[in-house]
Amino acid sequence: MKKKFIMIDFFLKHISMFFAYFVLLVIFGLFLVLYINSKDAINHFGFFSFITSNVWSPAFDKFGGLIALIGTFLTTVISAIIAIPIALGIAIFLVEICPNFLKTPIGIAIELLAAIPSVIYGFWGLFYLGPLIEKYVQPFFNATLVKLPIVGQYFYGYSSSVSLFTASVVLAIMIIPFTAALTRDALKITPDLLKESAYALGATKWETISKVMFRYSKGAIIGAVLISLGRAIGETMAVTFVIGNQDSLPTSLMSATTTVTATIANEFTEASSHLYLSSMYLLAFILFLLSFLLIIGSKMFFLRKVRD
Amino acid sequence: MRKRKIKNYIGLSISTISAFIGLFFLLWIIVSLIEKGFHYVNWSVFTQNAVSPGDEGGGLKFAILGQLEVVSIASLLGIPTGILGGIYLSEYGKDSFLSNVIRNVSDAMTSIPSIIIGIFVYALVVVPMGGFSVLAGSIALALLMMPIVISSIDNILRLVPNELREAAYALGAPKYIVIFKVVAKEAIVGIVSVILLAISRILGETAPLLFTSFNSNFESYKLNKPIATLTVTMYDYAMGPYDSWHHLAWAAAIILTFSVLLFNIASRLFSYWRFRR
Amino acid sequence: MKYICKIDGKQKIDVRNFNFYYGNKLALKDLNFCIKENTILALIGPSGSGKTTLARCFNRMHDLYTNNRYEGEIFIDNTNILDPKIDLIELRDRVGMVFQKPTAFPMTIFENIAFGLKLKGIKNKTELKDKVEKALKDAALWDEVKDRLDKLATNLSGGQQQRLCIARAIAVDPEVLVFDESTASLDPISTSKIEDLMVELSKKLTIIAVTHNLQQAARVSEYTLFLLDGEAIEYDKTNIMFTNPKDKKTQDYIMGRFG
Repeated sequence: MKKKFIMIDFFLKHISMFFAYFVLLVIFGLFLVLYINSKDAINHFGFFSFITSNVWSPAFDKFGGLIALIGTFLTTVISAIIAIPIALGIAIFLVEICPNFLKTPIGIAIELLAAIPSVIYGFWGLFYLGPLIEKYVQPFFNATLVKLPIVGQYFYGYSSSVSLFTASVVLAIMIIPFTAALTRDALKITPDLLKESAYALGATKWETISKVMFRYSKGAIIGAVLISLGRAIGETMAVTFVIGNQDSLPTSLMSATTTVTATIANEFTEASSHLYLSSMYLLAFILFLLSFLLIIGSKMFFLRKVRD
Repeated sequence: MRKRKIKNYIGLSISTISAFIGLFFLLWIIVSLIEKGFHYVNWSVFTQNAVSPGDEGGGLKFAILGQLEVVSIASLLGIPTGILGGIYLSEYGKDSFLSNVIRNVSDAMTSIPSIIIGIFVYALVVVPMGGFSVLAGSIALALLMMPIVISSIDNILRLVPNELREAAYALGAPKYIVIFKVVAKEAIVGIVSVILLAISRILGETAPLLFTSFNSNFESYKLNKPIATLTVTMYDYAMGPYDSWHHLAWAAAIILTFSVLLFNIASRLFSYWRFRR
Repeated sequence: MKYICKIDGKQKIDVRNFNFYYGNKLALKDLNFCIKENTILALIGPSGSGKTTLARCFNRMHDLYTNNRYEGEIFIDNTNILDPKIDLIELRDRVGMVFQKPTAFPMTIFENIAFGLKLKGIKNKTELKDKVEKALKDAALWDEVKDRLDKLATNLSGGQQQRLCIARAIAVDPEVLVFDESTASLDPISTSKIEDLMVELSKKLTIIAVTHNLQQAARVSEYTLFLLDGEAIEYDKTNIMFTNPKDKKTQDYIMGRFG
């Protein structure tokens, strides 16, 4: 009887250990595979020239990541500007303003919305939001914001339902539930005792929220924002449907352009030359590094919250 | 004082308004999805295969079955391995430095853009195999599942009180019996909830399948051949020029959303039940 | 501690020059005593005195965790159980343990009791049924559960669960049974039922009972060992120690002046 126990115990320990360590293997493997396959592009174009070059020409076998990177950067920033205040608003509403009996249903609704696959958001963006933007927002912008000096030209757009703007809005809508749920959790960690002390000192509700809760959960909120940004830069499907997939720098909010993820999604399987493919790997590698940085950043903020 | 009261009012109002804006948009998406989607879902969507481009009719049968196949194999690959990894962290590694490193890395991996996993599997599986395949797609999804499962299982098992383990050891049980017959049994409801959540997570994934299982017009379920999946098909059809394709894409959208939410809700129900016990 | 073995009967356990370390910290110092067979020995002392630590040495529970070290010998019937070559699973067959909180496994009542039996390799259904019934009867639980053996054990009350744990432990016929503050979380009625059980069981087993409840120690035990900061202060027959303690510290503790 005993021998069987020893054998099975040994087997279990080692096989479970293998799969736990497997995660480390995958991360290293990911880094290696991406780096090795981008080496050709790096050697040919130079890492920093690649990042700053706005040439993306399969015909001439010359590639530069600037267009895609700018696309990723702009969509992320614009969607963050739209989404984060709204998500914070939802979080504050849920934690402090919402009547108790609604808290759980709305909370669950938000979490379910965060579970909806991004491809659905992209899809909805293509068939609903895009046309609406073309029909109403573009004329509106053309009539108003375009008239502004200097910045006006960046709002000009004409009969395009797919654009940087559409993609950013879709992305924003997509990350709102996720960000809202995270920031709600972040705000919830403020101990009731702290809130009560603030109220007891005569603070208004808003003051308690802004001065006490925000300060207490500052780390957790920043961590949540960083994770959301990480999600935004890595989003493929929400963006590819509506960004327009043009390998050129955007001249206005309403231009069709591309992002790192959209470029990869659309052109990876059509890369006709070795350098073309290697450039895609290089884009992926850069994306990997960026999201990793954001993840580490968010962990540092979350960790600080736990330690305090 | 009045100034503070005004500030308070403004602040709270802005929050409430933004909450309503956010919730409004989200509601709008759901409503339009249901409205348009249901319109295009009919029996033939499930029973017919794709027809030549441009022709009327056709269905998503192959794509649906393909999705089921890829997700099932991915689950078979990703769930047991994730559970074993989670068991290692909770029952063997415990609080050691390396185990905490694995926990953090695993957590980080859940946020890696899924398209990068797709490229990774392309390089490691598709290229050596010489072509796209069901297996590659399943491996990509399994790699997405594993970190989620490992972290969640680790957390669930650590919640099991230590006295239960000690009582089993005190009766002369070897470690594997303590783990499977006592600890895992105690946590079984939570384990089921994790499995359902992991499945709901990969059910709607498109990007990792784009260069792994790719797509296919031929009805084949072989592991080493590409296959049509609902998510990729939906993407193709939506971006395509034909109205009939668009209609099918709507149907696909609602089928996908419904399935994902089903698993997600089921997972929550189990999780809720766990706390009621 | 100078070796004490003034017992009026056969010896079951012999603790010799025993030290125990949690990492670098010496938790049990120089213990030297013997335990009589088929009796109840109460381990008393304030929190942190080492009574649970000592109790968990008899079935080597400490081996589950790293950085613990035993020094010296503990003999059960002439076998030194601290020998590294000892089969721990066999040891835990001979020495059972009941814990502070009821630890019913998430299975049916029958499966709980049969747990240890199946580990020993008993597969015969009739044999299992008989042994389960006997264990439940010996634990004074049979009448209450005989009609629901196939129901979840976790639905039982706290007191019933603890008696279930006792039945589970005695099902494998141990020679020694350690109770680690096993009535601490129970109500007075359940406590008294279990105390009666302990006395009844001590006719066939050697029982070591850790308790912080002095009245309990006085009620059930034949011998008492008083520990303070890991050292044995006094070891004597219970009725003698409680009426006429030889050490002032013992007296102070029993009178409730500390701990």
